[in-house]
Amino acid sequence: MSQTQIRFSGSGGQGLILSARILAAALAARGKFVAQSQAYEPTSRGGLSRSDLVVSDREVDYPLVTSLDCVVILDQVAVAASEGLLRPDTVTITDAARVSAPPGEPRRVLALPITGKARGIGNIRVANIVALGALAELAGIIDPDSLRETMLDLVPPRFRDLNAEAFDAGREMAATLENA
Amino acid sequence: MSNPTNIQGNAAAAAGAIAAGCRFYAGYPITPSSEIAEQMAARLPKAGGTFIQMEDELGSMAATVGASLGGVKAMTATSGPGFSLKQENLGYAAMTETPCVIVNVMRGGPSTGLPTRPAQADIMQARWGTHGDHPIIVLAPHTVREIYEETIRAFNLAEALRTPVVVLYDETIGHLVETVTLKEPEEIITRKWAEGPREDYLPYAAGADMIPAFPRPGDGYRTHTTGLTHDERGFPTQDPEKVAAFMERLLGKLETHRDLIEKNELVETDGADVLIVAIGTPARAAKSAIRELRDEGIRAGLFRPVTLWPFPEEALKAAAKGKRAVLVPEMNAGQMILEVERVLAGEAPVTGLNVFNGEPITPAQIAAAVKELAK
Amino acid sequence: MNEITVTSADAFDIRDWLRLDLMPHFMCPGCGHGIALRALLWACHELGIKKDKLAIVSGIGCSGRTGAYIDANTFHTTHGRPLAFATGLKLARPDLTVIVISGDGDSLAIGGNHMIHACRRNLDMTLMLLNNEVYGMTGGQVSPTTSAERFTTTTPAGNVEPVFDACKLAEGAGATFAGREATLQTPALKDLLKAAISHKGFSVAEVISDCTEIFGRKNAMGNSAEMVLRQKHAMIPERSPDDRVPEPFKPNPFPTGVFVDQQRPEYGELYDQVRKRARERSK
Repeated sequence: MSQTQIRFSGSGGQGLILSARILAAALAARGKFVAQSQAYEPTSRGGLSRSDLVVSDREVDYPLVTSLDCVVILDQVAVAASEGLLRPDTVTITDAARVSAPPGEPRRVLALPITGKARGIGNIRVANIVALGALAELAGIIDPDSLRETMLDLVPPRFRDLNAEAFDAGREMAATLENA
Repeated sequence: MSNPTNIQGNAAAAAGAIAAGCRFYAGYPITPSSEIAEQMAARLPKAGGTFIQMEDELGSMAATVGASLGGVKAMTATSGPGFSLKQENLGYAAMTETPCVIVNVMRGGPSTGLPTRPAQADIMQARWGTHGDHPIIVLAPHTVREIYEETIRAFNLAEALRTPVVVLYDETIGHLVETVTLKEPEEIITRKWAEGPREDYLPYAAGADMIPAFPRPGDGYRTHTTGLTHDERGFPTQDPEKVAAFMERLLGKLETHRDLIEKNELVETDGADVLIVAIGTPARAAKSAIRELRDEGIRAGLFRPVTLWPFPEEALKAAAKGKRAVLVPEMNAGQMILEVERVLAGEAPVTGLNVFNGEPITPAQIAAAVKELAK
Repeated sequence: MNEITVTSADAFDIRDWLRLDLMPHFMCPGCGHGIALRALLWACHELGIKKDKLAIVSGIGCSGRTGAYIDANTFHTTHGRPLAFATGLKLARPDLTVIVISGDGDSLAIGGNHMIHACRRNLDMTLMLLNNEVYGMTGGQVSPTTSAERFTTTTPAGNVEPVFDACKLAEGAGATFAGREATLQTPALKDLLKAAISHKGFSVAEVISDCTEIFGRKNAMGNSAEMVLRQKHAMIPERSPDDRVPEPFKPNPFPTGVFVDQQRPEYGELYDQVRKRARERSK
């Protein structure tokens, strides 16, 4: 049985739960079974925030992550929480500026200028969508174009263009990295 | 039938309630069950029903039972500290045989405990929380889909058997979002209403099914409902014969309908050396562990009571037959294990795996415990 | 509302409203609750309420037991909770006339929270609060309305706690109708209850009752007739600014009459609007 475990993590206020929800919706719409969980401690801005997905072709057994296939870390504060869940082949995407000491264990940490890119687009708050775009490109769990479609359905109409730009920018920086 | 959708466990409880015909909800906010109230506040008025946030937990249980006494299907939801307060009028519902559904999303205790962390330490309270001998049904869903389905079944059982039904699950599943297809209920049961002339009607007289017909206020029966021990007319009595007859019917009615109530899931129990008995998140961890262990050549199976109370004595006995060991993983200091030990007394050694640090039990923990037992 | 309306009592036969097969009732000789019960049924009779559509919800204590004698849909609920049960019942069944019979301990102590929120919410039902200054059913303990220095089984040296004024509490909590009468004046009590039941919204009718057998005996207050006559000396026909709250540490005078009678949107009607809005939004 193929099962994929994904984590979005960072600090409160970075919109990571929305990223997870968008990915979960896109996967469910394509026949996958998803279990999405998150910490329910009151996360104010700055504290650890995370949302996890377990994706399967049938109803998920254990719904919490035990060994990550893919993790997005947008803030140093979130590094420690994932240390014990990483494998050598875990696709680990970090924010180049905000994660100064990435987790050591994985062979390859993909440090991308995610928040920098978001700021460049004009709104740091779309860093979560930049990250989603990068993940779509790197993780191989869903067709990026169909994820983009779902994302545009779920974000408020007036922010569609901004989010589309953010998503595409994330894909592009990941693709560039892959080809490098 | 809807398309697959991602829905939170607590939202699934609300969706199941509405699908089952619930048209009244009284609640009080408490973590980690508040989403049920929020969902009902949004959904019920659309369905022509009523949502009310009461002044406290005691009042929300009372209003729930009050609405059901009026003939409307009613529900409330709570967690830990609120569940303690709801016991008072949950007992009244049991005594007056008023159908109602109570969802308890379990968090760490005792007292205020761990509001946002999962636990399963209300297993015994769900059975024995209110004072006095009383009947109660407790359903223990383990997935978001099952929360939806079991909430529907909770209403059906409450209505069919005129009893409060508790839907009991841990915070992990309550806050989990899962891909579910919400199917229309195959069956919706509504309580048997009193019919016929008032002169012949005894509100607490029952036939062979032990379930009296319910008098709907306004239908002309003008009956009396009391939490005092009552006779078949519904009026207080201390006559030992009448008291005994009433209590025997009250306590016996669920036993009579065990076929309707009981529901278990068995996973690879045939040929297993070790039987795991679990509900909720630990049951899901067990399923995962069973698959991993199978790859290592260790044969374990799962017996999962979907209806936790009344406890599935005979089915458990059958599932445990010939097993080398029985493991009971629980997110508490050992509650369900007491029932398992009682039922399997002497037939198989029973070992507990108890985690009560606010963390869910993991597949690795169960796999390690099974390996130890399979040695 | 303070005047006694002259009504022919001929047409009212209390036996039409009682479960006569339950007689004799459990109340002690001289207990004022029977008079209150009579006034309530008289009011229901004059209002033309149908017994099938009448729901009586009561709590625990002597007050709570009186409901069982009424030939209607009667619900004897738990300690202090009748208003909360009644809230669910009325919301589920707005077609029923819902009257709560409660006592000073039931409504002002163990059920105090439900009382103040029922006043605030203004759901269309009536609370008849039987105030006899004592927990009679449990043997005569102090209640939130026990007068200063009175002896009860839990105030063997005399009560030192101040009393609650149920009507002031109701008013402060936002009740749209609050009034008080004594069992001494049954026709006036009946009229108060009529006005309370007819009122659209939540109404509080406090009844000054007497507990002869326990409270009266413990405090050497004489026989039931003497106790009822005491009401005459303590009652003040109308409330004046000077006697708003009964002062602790002196025998309580009590104003009578209707103190609050105002219109405010009723909760059930407001919730109808919630349903309408919810449906419009989901279109």
